[in-house]
Amino acid sequence: MSFIVRQVARRADGGDIVRTRSFAAAEITVGRGTDCDIQLADLGIMLRHARLSLLSDGRVAIEATGGIPLEIDGRFVNRADLDVASGPAIAMASHRLTLAPGDAPGSVAVTAERVIAASDAADAGAETGIFSLQGTIPGKRRMAWGLVLLVLMVGLALPIWSMTRRQTRLPDAMVAAAAQPGGAVAQPVAAGGWRPDSVWSSGPLSAAHAGLAQDCGACHQKAFVSVTDGACVACHKPATLPAHAAADRMVRGRLAATGAAAALHQGLNLPEGRCASCHKEHEGPRGALLVAANFCTDCHAGLSTRLRDTAVADVPDWAGHPQFRATVVRDPSPTRPRFERVSLAGRPRENNGLVYPHELHLSKTNSVANMVRRQGLAANGALGCGDCHTPDSDGIGFKPITMEGNCSACHDLAFARDGGVVRTLPHGKPQQVAGIVRDFYLAQAFSPRAGVQRLAFERRLPGQRAEAVTADLRLTSPGEARLRADAAITGIFSPRGVCADCHAVIDTGAADTARRHAIAPVTLTDRYLPKGAFVHRKHRSQDGRTGDAACISCHKGTAVSKAASDVLLPPVSQCRECHGATTVKTRVAATCATCHAYHPGADGHGGPPAAPALPTQVALLAPRSR
Amino acid sequence: MATRARSTGKAVAAAPRDIAHSGFLAHRGGRWRKVALGLSALAIAVYALTDPQPRPNGGTATGYLLGSVGAALILWLSLIGLRKRIITTRAYSLKGWTSAHVYLGLSLIVVATLHSGFQLGFNVHGLAYLLMMIVVLSGLYGIAVYATLPAQLSANRNEATQPQMLEALRALDRQLDTAAQPLDKAEAELVRLSLERCDVGGGLWSRLTGRYPRCGNARARAAVQAIVDDRLRRGTPDARLTQILFLLERKDAALAQARRHIGLKTRLELWLYVHVPATFALLAALLAHVLSVFLYW
Repeated sequence: MSFIVRQVARRADGGDIVRTRSFAAAEITVGRGTDCDIQLADLGIMLRHARLSLLSDGRVAIEATGGIPLEIDGRFVNRADLDVASGPAIAMASHRLTLAPGDAPGSVAVTAERVIAASDAADAGAETGIFSLQGTIPGKRRMAWGLVLLVLMVGLALPIWSMTRRQTRLPDAMVAAAAQPGGAVAQPVAAGGWRPDSVWSSGPLSAAHAGLAQDCGACHQKAFVSVTDGACVACHKPATLPAHAAADRMVRGRLAATGAAAALHQGLNLPEGRCASCHKEHEGPRGALLVAANFCTDCHAGLSTRLRDTAVADVPDWAGHPQFRATVVRDPSPTRPRFERVSLAGRPRENNGLVYPHELHLSKTNSVANMVRRQGLAANGALGCGDCHTPDSDGIGFKPITMEGNCSACHDLAFARDGGVVRTLPHGKPQQVAGIVRDFYLAQAFSPRAGVQRLAFERRLPGQRAEAVTADLRLTSPGEARLRADAAITGIFSPRGVCADCHAVIDTGAADTARRHAIAPVTLTDRYLPKGAFVHRKHRSQDGRTGDAACISCHKGTAVSKAASDVLLPPVSQCRECHGATTVKTRVAATCATCHAYHPGADGHGGPPAAPALPTQVALLAPRSR
Repeated sequence: MATRARSTGKAVAAAPRDIAHSGFLAHRGGRWRKVALGLSALAIAVYALTDPQPRPNGGTATGYLLGSVGAALILWLSLIGLRKRIITTRAYSLKGWTSAHVYLGLSLIVVATLHSGFQLGFNVHGLAYLLMMIVVLSGLYGIAVYATLPAQLSANRNEATQPQMLEALRALDRQLDTAAQPLDKAEAELVRLSLERCDVGGGLWSRLTGRYPRCGNARARAAVQAIVDDRLRRGTPDARLTQILFLLERKDAALAQARRHIGLKTRLELWLYVHVPATFALLAALLAHVLSVFLYW
């Protein structure tokens, strides 16, 4: 009837120290208190924690005396009868009591040992855990892997997955807008949600292409193949957006890259001369239309050396821009006028068929000015540029000059006064004029009426009203009327007659007086420099000058021009006084695109608007420059 | 010195040796600082002297050039993780390598920013730039703390090693444990707070701020202090508890020193927990950045 208590303590080197004591008693106590039989230095254990009592036939009763239940084989109990032979274990805080039959019959061996190391257990891991961040936050390696996987998933895997499954469909509204002449039309961002491959976009698309923001495949049709012209032409049909020149001529004209640059382009699968070579996308709302200024001169600087049959002069840069070659009238004709492009360098003259001295009309002191004053035609008492040259609706050029609109206020064709009515001759119809004059004289011969006066056409002294020539109208016979009519017709068409004021009169040599005279055809040039988009409206005031002074500042010599054959265009050097100059207050652009469009066409898509097409004859008649 | 040695006619003269310590920042008279400044100046010159159309960015000839340089730099910079694990006796010392790593890494800010042409967006390219800047700036922070904190660390340590600091705490714990054995349950529970509910290191926030509001020792000390004061007022002072309070106060001081040490070490270490994972994320983003450009060429 005894307890044999074995208290086990761990040595630092791992070995055990076992202290064995025997208690020849039927009851022993367990606790932290010094009065206990088994004293366990464990603050988790009560001062008097439990009592063990020997029962008969190898059983031990255990009872919790400290108010804390005992844990026996996983169950918490306040008391229990234990079969010693089965080796029961009782857990108490960090300690464990194990019961076993003792060596002596009837005795019970109690082994007490610490099973949970004390908090001061020294080990190398504790130091690392406490003083370094290991274990406090996820390790560097784990975070690196996590982030790598995340980035690869969002930045590569999902976009590639999205790229392989895409179905591209061009928005109808965009295709329709591209087929319309005119500038870029801003498009709304297409509905349809976000697509993973849009994370590859290097920047916002241009306003016109914004609808394709989630549809990368519309342009990037094949992986590792740079955007092809086919993608652009799918919407931008050549009918709306003509090519700059034929494809083969473009290839021959281009200054091909050589050496490393060519190898780089070849190796990177980035062919030159594509739409996308100039029109860079992903550059913001105005992106696609931003084109390099030096891009034109890349080819045009030495074009003639590569494209030997070109009619276009070489342009190395703005300073080296060749002199303007104006489209001037060579042979005026009402139906098929002949134009010719000639350089302004040779002070060319044109043959427009008109007699018109600018000097006479712009004078402030002569008879013209006097007449203008009397009629109140011009506010300041003399004709100015704008009295004849009226800007057209878009402000680029001017409305055509017409006899009725611009000349007839002074150059009226009145030839008779019939009562209160002034009879005038029709303009532009010589044979009608002859008929009307004949009818007039014949009518007077057969049925003379009082109050009818013939007005003299002959040139009069300035300001003098047409004298009534009434004495001539007393006709005696149809024959005399015929003679007088013929004389009057000859007078009208004579060099001193009314027509010759403005026109050259051609003697056809016909026997019939009515058919003997013809007016030389007149063709006024609508646009001298049709390939340049000079907008007059933008130049109404320049460098502090406005009105006629602004006009004359470029069209120098107009005020002293004595003949309509003078080509009163400014040379290119005139443009350089402001464009590209550093001496003017307002820096003005001097890029190629300031005046020229790359894609020809009346709609001007991609360039300045409404550059009028060249007359078809020019293309036929323009001499090759070399 | 060597010259004087020779003139004295001694048979063996000491070779001139650089005995003064020079850190990686001043390695070889700042050789890599000059290289990095030269590289940055070159990049700025290239950027300033070319006029890419329609605007400078990564997609121009200049952009591709700067981008290639930047990508090569990033790959080389990330190799320091390999280099530092290889012990060599060759000319390229780890110190020299670290010096180059620091200065070339800083020049990457210039190269990569010019590569972008200041055109950044919410996309995979912007992500690569963002990660790169996180890596570079965290590295810069790392240099700053390496330059300033070791002195504080040394001053706080007061010649004690980390194991000694821990051992001091453990000794106090053992004394507390022993001293608490006669206590009854409620008082023993208070001492257990200090023994079992006292995390020396604590979480990241505690380490960075030095605030340990749930510290078991502080709670135990406050509670025991209250009991001791109460007994004093009643005229029945308890010697055992007074002894324990004394031990708790000593543990408080030891904890404070250890925790200051931990706080400094945390700041010394933490930047690497940003620098290294962000580097690997950057390498992944760089791959996505470059590959995506060619995929959607």
